[in-house]
Amino acid sequence: MSAVIETLGLRKVFGDHVAIESLDLNIERGDVFGLLGPNGAGKTTTIRMLTTLLAPSGGAARVCGFDVATQPSEVRRRIGYVMQTVAYRGLLTGRECVEIEAALYHLPRRDIPHRAEVVLEAVGMLPHADRRWTTYSGGMKKRLDLACGLLHWPEVLVLDEPSLGLDVQSRHNVWGYIRDRHVGGATVLLATNYLDEADRLCNKVAIIDRGSVVVQGSPSELKRAVGAEVVQVSSGEPERLRRAIEAERWVKKIIAGEHGDLHVYVEDASIALPAVMRLGLEHGINLERMTYSQPSLDDVFLLHTGRELREVGAAS
Amino acid sequence: MTIEEVAQENRAPVDLAGTEGGDARGRWAQEVMALARRWWIELLRERLNLVFSILQPAIWLVFFGAGVERAIDAEVIGTDDYIGFMLAGVVTFTIVGNGISGAMPLLWDKETGYLDRLMSMPIARSSVIVSRFVFQVAQQTVQILLVVVVAFALGVRIATGPLGLAVILLTAALLTMSVTAAFSALAYAVPQHGTFFAVAGFVTLPLLFMSSAFVPLEAMPLWMEVVARVNPLTYAIESMRTLVLDGWEARVATSLALLTLAGAACLALGTWQFRKQTGDRTQE
Repeated sequence: MSAVIETLGLRKVFGDHVAIESLDLNIERGDVFGLLGPNGAGKTTTIRMLTTLLAPSGGAARVCGFDVATQPSEVRRRIGYVMQTVAYRGLLTGRECVEIEAALYHLPRRDIPHRAEVVLEAVGMLPHADRRWTTYSGGMKKRLDLACGLLHWPEVLVLDEPSLGLDVQSRHNVWGYIRDRHVGGATVLLATNYLDEADRLCNKVAIIDRGSVVVQGSPSELKRAVGAEVVQVSSGEPERLRRAIEAERWVKKIIAGEHGDLHVYVEDASIALPAVMRLGLEHGINLERMTYSQPSLDDVFLLHTGRELREVGAAS
Repeated sequence: MTIEEVAQENRAPVDLAGTEGGDARGRWAQEVMALARRWWIELLRERLNLVFSILQPAIWLVFFGAGVERAIDAEVIGTDDYIGFMLAGVVTFTIVGNGISGAMPLLWDKETGYLDRLMSMPIARSSVIVSRFVFQVAQQTVQILLVVVVAFALGVRIATGPLGLAVILLTAALLTMSVTAAFSALAYAVPQHGTFFAVAGFVTLPLLFMSSAFVPLEAMPLWMEVVARVNPLTYAIESMRTLVLDGWEARVATSLALLTLAGAACLALGTWQFRKQTGDRTQE
């Protein structure tokens, strides 16, 4: 069986509030899988069920072949969980934190000092290992948490918003460690609301919104579904421009952006660019700026979470 | 170490065999000691906390000895050795105080979310509470020895000698089991630390006054004596007081047996509450 994490109709209800409607996920060995969605979409709830911290209200979830509800200790042995919030570690030093957690994972006593150094080194924290936790910056605390998540070489590394609240430098550091970890062969499950994070790290993503999966696939598949390329046009009269071009064969979709921009999704920008220019001239619309790019997960998100879709629906 | 080496090491993961039975007790001991090490480091780094918590019971005994002794009727307490009489009360007082302050790290872990990290690890659910128990027994053994030294300086001689002192420490450990487990259960049951302190503050004084800490059972009004007789604190106090004032008597054994029962019950309650709270907690 190649599925490392498998959920079927997984559901969580808090009182009258349905946090997770019905979740089907299939994460394979070696995947770096992103759960992508806005705050409150149900990412953390999903992760808490998969890490055995929360009992599902319905459906089933298996991690490494073990059921989260009936075989939680088998699941716990195989996962490394890095929480969204930095774990509070009081007056301990970084090394003490890691060594204590190593013992909690039942590593043989004689291996603990060495293993602690390896994971601290892996996240660049070895030079700071003997300072107290309270003196660490936010990024260092997060890296320490990451080191603790790697201690027992888990089969699955579960990261809840690994770069939340970090500065750009620390974010890039943390990403580097996650990519390196992937080289090590573990499966990674990552929840994030940063689209660029999912795009850079994940080979598969599931976009979830209001407790269900809206769409899932590899970032490139998802982006291809949006359209091959996006032409972004600024003009003084976006509505007139839209009417001028929307009937053309090469236009797949048009979404009005902020600041009067139009995002025109097309198969081939090399055909679309001169056509937009020609139609603008024919209708006497002054085009201010025009760029084109590959669609990002931002575009996928816009398309699938519904809110921006309504604008498209109303216009076309 | 390069990442390739890390990856290499990853190909030889921890031996997961023998997850059933086998060395389960060894693993449990390793968890308890690792957690106790955490509590111990924290205490040692909080110097003021350390000094005050170790000294406090001895200071109480001095206050009682110097002040209250003269207002007490030797007829009522049945001895003219008031400090010897109070020794058991002060030890019990200390255990209850430790129980409250000892639950604070648990509250803290729960509120800062570190508890979730612990719960995502393959550790036994009883380890956290048991590690607090081990740690607190160690801490209060030091406290009690200091109180005994102070009492000795004030003229108290333990009737049963050094062996009696060992049984006093055992009694204290048994009571600690009840108190630690009960306050831990409370810490896990409450929605927030405010509730914990409200409830703990509300029960502590009645618990102490409805025991024989300050007044012997024989001197109590009937209703109070009835309450005091179901209070585990009373058994700890009676056992320790007998050992200090009277000598080896059968009721010491009875008290120890009852304390063991109470401790086991509280531990079961605490572990159950812990499972309940950590098994299905709502999203923060």
